[in-house]
Amino acid sequence: MTPESAMQFVRGPLFYFAVLFFIAGMTYRLIGVLALGWKKDLVQPRHSKLGGALVAYLKGVIIWPFIPRINETAGRNPVTYLAGGLFHLGLFLTIFLGAAHMLVWKSLLGFGWPTLPLPVIDALAAIAIISLIVLALNRVMSPVLRLLTRSSDYFNLLFVFLPMFTGFFLTHRLFAPYDSMFTLHVLTVDILLIWIPLSRISHFMFYFYTKARQGVKFAQRGARP
Amino acid sequence: MFQHKDDTVLEALQRRGVTRRDFIKMSILLAGALGLDYKRVGAVTHALETAKRAPVIWLEFQDCAGCTESISRSQNPTLEKLVLNDITIEYHETLMAAAGYQAEEAKQAAMETYKGQYILVVEGSIPLANGGYCTIGGRAADDILREAAANAFAVVAVGNCASFGGIPRANPNPTDAYGVMELVTDKPVINIPGCPAIPEAMTNTIANILVLGSIPELDALNRPKLFYAQTVHDRCLRRGFYDAGLFADSFGDDGYQNGYCLYKLGCKGPTTYNTCASLKWNEGTSWPVEAGHPCLGCSEPNFWDGGGFYQGASAPLQKPDLVTVGGAALVGAVVAGGVAGLNSAAKKRAAKSEKAEQPSDKEA
Repeated sequence: MTPESAMQFVRGPLFYFAVLFFIAGMTYRLIGVLALGWKKDLVQPRHSKLGGALVAYLKGVIIWPFIPRINETAGRNPVTYLAGGLFHLGLFLTIFLGAAHMLVWKSLLGFGWPTLPLPVIDALAAIAIISLIVLALNRVMSPVLRLLTRSSDYFNLLFVFLPMFTGFFLTHRLFAPYDSMFTLHVLTVDILLIWIPLSRISHFMFYFYTKARQGVKFAQRGARP
Repeated sequence: MFQHKDDTVLEALQRRGVTRRDFIKMSILLAGALGLDYKRVGAVTHALETAKRAPVIWLEFQDCAGCTESISRSQNPTLEKLVLNDITIEYHETLMAAAGYQAEEAKQAAMETYKGQYILVVEGSIPLANGGYCTIGGRAADDILREAAANAFAVVAVGNCASFGGIPRANPNPTDAYGVMELVTDKPVINIPGCPAIPEAMTNTIANILVLGSIPELDALNRPKLFYAQTVHDRCLRRGFYDAGLFADSFGDDGYQNGYCLYKLGCKGPTTYNTCASLKWNEGTSWPVEAGHPCLGCSEPNFWDGGGFYQGASAPLQKPDLVTVGGAALVGAVVAGGVAGLNSAAKKRAAKSEKAEQPSDKEA
């Protein structure tokens, strides 16, 4: 396999397979949870269920995470709060507002959007990488976290680390020519896409689902059987 | 035709009336064009004085003669003249006056006379399907290539077609086209890809082999490093805009008129190794990106199928359509539904057996 055919493979058939596996796997996970079995909801809700879900989103996703005093995680475990927050912020801004990434979305979705300058994206990517390193060290060093950590969690770290590192090296022309590093970057993204449905990285989908469920429960405010 | 076949390059030049002064000038220019240190001008002069004048045999297969057009517009007339006239191209279907059997005889004679010395230049891809879709004088292209390559000193594949198959090889590749390096494996093959190849890269490489008698330093795809060591992106005049995040979003918008980076319009500069940005085209007038068009990546293998020309360089080459995505989601949903159904049945069975046990509890 030449370097060129390797690039063709990771950007072509492997990417194709990874996307389909990701979609099938994530649907499986979500339907699997939804179909766990529902008991009939006999409780008369005090407030609107939809309203409860919206409030939960507003508080849990948009406001609380950014106010350290109110957010419990911030007080109890500042490293997780700060590094975790910065990691997600840097990662998502890079994935959606980097020019090269936007072009991937554009080719998949059919429409694009404005992007951030490279130095800004670069800084955000560096912040995300440093945050993930801090989180990894925290996981290894904290005795409590170590008890909760299984081998799959280390795989999670590894499979998220690889696309971030290769992407950063790619833009800085480090260690390998642009095209080789590009191949590695896409390869690691393909691996990540396949790994996500098999792992707890799929939390990004359940997160919104869980928040909505919580919001509904909060809105009911009644005694539950 | 071959009465002076033992001539050195100098003797051949003198026979044409080139003076010593012009010869030294030519040596200096040639040394510069070959990227040599000025101290090595003497070595070039010496080489031209002693090296046997060796001919070039130029074969065309599935091509458009665009690379021939390109080399005949070299911005270095002396070097072009040296390669085309003084070092001599013994056989070139487009440029030669002879035709038919006469031309074929001339080629056979040249191949016999300069056995092991001539440079074989190939333009165009070679089809293998159907006993050769491309035939010359009733002979299949791969047959002609193998015969000519067998006694060549080195083979130079000019243009993307001869290097990697090029446009004839694009999907669905009806003629089963190949580049030279896939068919000729026992000779050094130098690729000068491009669509067309940059004239200076061609003349320089040919001159390098003829004058210095050696193959220039090559990269992993057999391209001379002198011309293909850096990407178009690395040397691009719009590179500053890329780094600053200033892009043209569509042809003719404000960013485009301001000369911003063409990356979002599908520029393949970052993954394309070539020297367009440094040497430019048409005697240094301009080059595609300077003229406002994104790089197509024409010096890379499979450039025709390497994603849409106006789609981002980072975009995937294959992507599932909506129906396939729906199908994948359906597969996931069906499997999940099946598992949930089994789970539900197991729960019901458990509840039933629990109920069945309850009366016995009461009795006890």
